[in-house]
Amino acid sequence: MRIEAWVFGINAIFFALVGPIYWYMSGDPTGTAALIMTTLLALLVAFYLGFHAKKMDSRPEDRKEAEVYEGTGEIGFFPPYSWWPLWCGLCVTTIALGIVIGWWLVIIGFGAGSIALIGWVFEFYRGEHAH
Amino acid sequence: MVSVGTIVWLASELMFFAALFASYYTIRAVVPQLWAQDTPKLDVPFASVNTTVLVLSSVSCQLGVFAAERGQVGRAGRLFEVGKWGLREWFVLTYVMGAFFIGGQAKEYAGMIHDGITIPSSPYGSIFYLATGFHGLHVTGGLIAFLFVLGRTFMAKHFTHEQAVTAIVVSYYWHFVDIVWIGLFATIYLLQ
Repeated sequence: MRIEAWVFGINAIFFALVGPIYWYMSGDPTGTAALIMTTLLALLVAFYLGFHAKKMDSRPEDRKEAEVYEGTGEIGFFPPYSWWPLWCGLCVTTIALGIVIGWWLVIIGFGAGSIALIGWVFEFYRGEHAH
Repeated sequence: MVSVGTIVWLASELMFFAALFASYYTIRAVVPQLWAQDTPKLDVPFASVNTTVLVLSSVSCQLGVFAAERGQVGRAGRLFEVGKWGLREWFVLTYVMGAFFIGGQAKEYAGMIHDGITIPSSPYGSIFYLATGFHGLHVTGGLIAFLFVLGRTFMAKHFTHEQAVTAIVVSYYWHFVDIVWIGLFATIYLLQ
C-alpha cells in the first residue's frame, strides 16, 4: 500500500510546487485556488493510504513472492440487491425539480426522501435481516 | 471497502469546495470594493466561538471512534463519568456541538440579512451565502448521519464490525467538513 500512497504523494508534491509558480507567473486567483485544492486532494488520498499502510500487514499484492490463493477470503459486505437507491434517487430528482417547478415539491421530496434514506440505511437491520 | 469509497467521495467533495473557493477569490479579485464595504459587517468574534465549537466537535467525534474501535458502544459508568463514555455518548455530544454550530450560523445569517446582505444583493452576498450555505448543508448532512449511526447501534442486538465501520466513515466525513470550515473561516473572516 506504500506504493499507492507514494503515487498520490508525488502528485501532491507536484501540485504544491506548481501552485506558487503559477501564482507568481499569472497572479490569477482562480487557478491558484484550484491548484491548492488539488494539492490537498492528492494529500488526502496519500495520507489515508499511508496511514493504513502503517497499520496493516502487507497484502499479497505488496509482496513479490505472494501466491494468487492468498488473495482469497471475505473482502466486505455487498448487498445482493436493493431497491432503496432507486427511491432515494427519485426523491433527489423530485427535490431538484421542485426548485424549478415550485418549492412545495421540495417539501414532498424531503418527506419521501427521509423515508427512502431510512429504508436504505436500515435495510439489513430489520425484517428477516434483523440481528 | 466502505472507508476507501468514502475517501474517494471526500476527494471529489474537496473539488466541489475548490470551485467555491475559486469563485470566492475570483469575485474578490474582480470587485474588491465590495469587500471593503461588506466585510466590516461580519461578526468575527462570534464566528470564532462557533468555529471553536465545530473544531472541538471533531475531537469528541474522534473519541467516539476510539470507543467504537475498542468495541464499547455505551458508557461503562455513570452519565457524568466522561472517561467511561462509549460511542453513543461521544456521538451525542458531537451532535449537540454540530447543532450549536448550525444554530450559530442561522443567527449570523439573520444578522447579515438585517444588514442588507442577501444572495441577490451583491456578488459578495452571493458567494458568502453559497460557500457558507453549502458548508452548512454538509454539516446538517453530517448531523443526520450521526443519527443513523446511533440508530444502527440501537437497532442491532450486538455492536458489530459494520457499525464500527459506519462510525469511522462518518467521522472521516465530519473531520473533512471541519477542515473545510477552517479553510472557509480563514478565507471569509480572517483574510478580509
